[in-house]
Amino acid sequence: MAHEILAATNAVVTLDVALPGIVWPWLVTVNMWAKSIGTGIIFMLFILQRTHPDSVKNMRLPVSIIAFVFINIFLLFTLADLHQPFRMWHIFVYSNWTSAIAIGSFMASGFLGLLTLLIFLAWKKNDEAYDKVLLWTTILAIPVTLYTAALMSQCTARELWQMPAESAQMILAATLSGSAAMILFGGSKLSYEAKKSMGVILGLSALMAFIIYMSEYVFGPMKAEEVAAILEYIKGDGEYTVMFWLGQWITYLLPMLLIVLSRASKNESVLKLAAILALVGLFLVKHVWLSIPQLLPMS
Amino acid sequence: MQLGFLVDLHLCMGCKGCEIACKVENEVPLSTWRLRVKYVDVGTFPETKRTFTPLRCNHCENAPCERICPVSALHYLDNGIVNIDKERCIGCAGCVMACPYGAIYIDPQTQTADKCTYCAHRIASSMMPACVVACPVQANIFGDLEDPTSNISKYIQTNQGGVQVRKPEKGTNPHHYYVGGGNVSLNPLASHRGEGHNLFGEIKNLPVGGHH
Repeated sequence: MAHEILAATNAVVTLDVALPGIVWPWLVTVNMWAKSIGTGIIFMLFILQRTHPDSVKNMRLPVSIIAFVFINIFLLFTLADLHQPFRMWHIFVYSNWTSAIAIGSFMASGFLGLLTLLIFLAWKKNDEAYDKVLLWTTILAIPVTLYTAALMSQCTARELWQMPAESAQMILAATLSGSAAMILFGGSKLSYEAKKSMGVILGLSALMAFIIYMSEYVFGPMKAEEVAAILEYIKGDGEYTVMFWLGQWITYLLPMLLIVLSRASKNESVLKLAAILALVGLFLVKHVWLSIPQLLPMS
Repeated sequence: MQLGFLVDLHLCMGCKGCEIACKVENEVPLSTWRLRVKYVDVGTFPETKRTFTPLRCNHCENAPCERICPVSALHYLDNGIVNIDKERCIGCAGCVMACPYGAIYIDPQTQTADKCTYCAHRIASSMMPACVVACPVQANIFGDLEDPTSNISKYIQTNQGGVQVRKPEKGTNPHHYYVGGGNVSLNPLASHRGEGHNLFGEIKNLPVGGHH
């Protein structure tokens, strides 16, 4: 371990170029956040159709529109993050098939196409065709959710982002935000029982995501020196410590408590509060995890 | 042919001639570098010394930047150079995020990724890279790794035990070697970094070069 010799060498970098600023900024956080909602709400519709079919009869059109809007936000911010946005079309013409960005672009475009078709079918009230297309949309939503984890794992320089953990976190972010969005946007169309089911999914997603973050927080530094150095930014008086813990509380701990409380008191407002907190907090959690590996000097 | 670079850190005296030659040859904009020399001071006064480490693209055999680039703007040449097509680059900065050596930057003028290409345009004209020509002590050794009679191959054969690459654990198989290096010069975590990391200013962070 390099840091163990520091006391003996007292080595100090006295001349190097200044570190580059954050390369992937908050625009990429919005990208991940919006994509989680866009795919997550499709997962939830698919689940509710099987568990509470009567309750979601009138949810086809609103859910399709919500997913469409959030996937467009995701794509818009992806585009905004490019330094040469007008060359976006290069991805489809000069595709590099080893790149998660290229493969993800095709999948996201296909997903958007299916969402457009879903809106059309819901508007035409062709429920039979809608449900068939929804199956394929749900299946495609899985790799669309996961490809960002693949992209992060392709960032060889960022040791913190390991594919197994990031894949799990991406899926959990989708189920967490999808269930939260369903609780909030369900309104009077969605029964309280269905919302309670969504609350269970939200709570369990929060619990599992929290466990993974805490596992990385505690055990990550024992495996890799770079991970240890990166996690220093969220420990002690680290640059992102406050934001990290704020995110963990708002996204995971408080919603879990509120969901238990809402089930005990049968209070829908408490459930909605949990959903709002989860959606807001998810942005913080994602932003911290995106930013901290970028603070580490590479040279 | 497999071109590679070796820097003998015993010889490097930190004159930055290579850095300037690179800047001029490749018209590298202000605040960005294709090649730079890092200084690390070691020890406690009066027992101190300064190490100099030229850092540039490692032209990895298993390059993460080539793998992540969605449009193949980063691509291999037949001679092993990892080259960049700036006309094709969309500026997603995936390569900047993937490179474990911090060797890629966003050119603030073209808004595209850029990095050392081993002066591929000079190689094509049978010339040596600008930094090799500029080095007054021949610390930069450049040549064909597959040719056992090339200077770089001979140097590696002679200094077998002392030849190192940066971050071998990343599995990138760099074609850029160092002789006379150590943890302090090659591992970024083996030295403290004060505010600015710079003798000549208080700049802590540079803008990425883009619109953010």
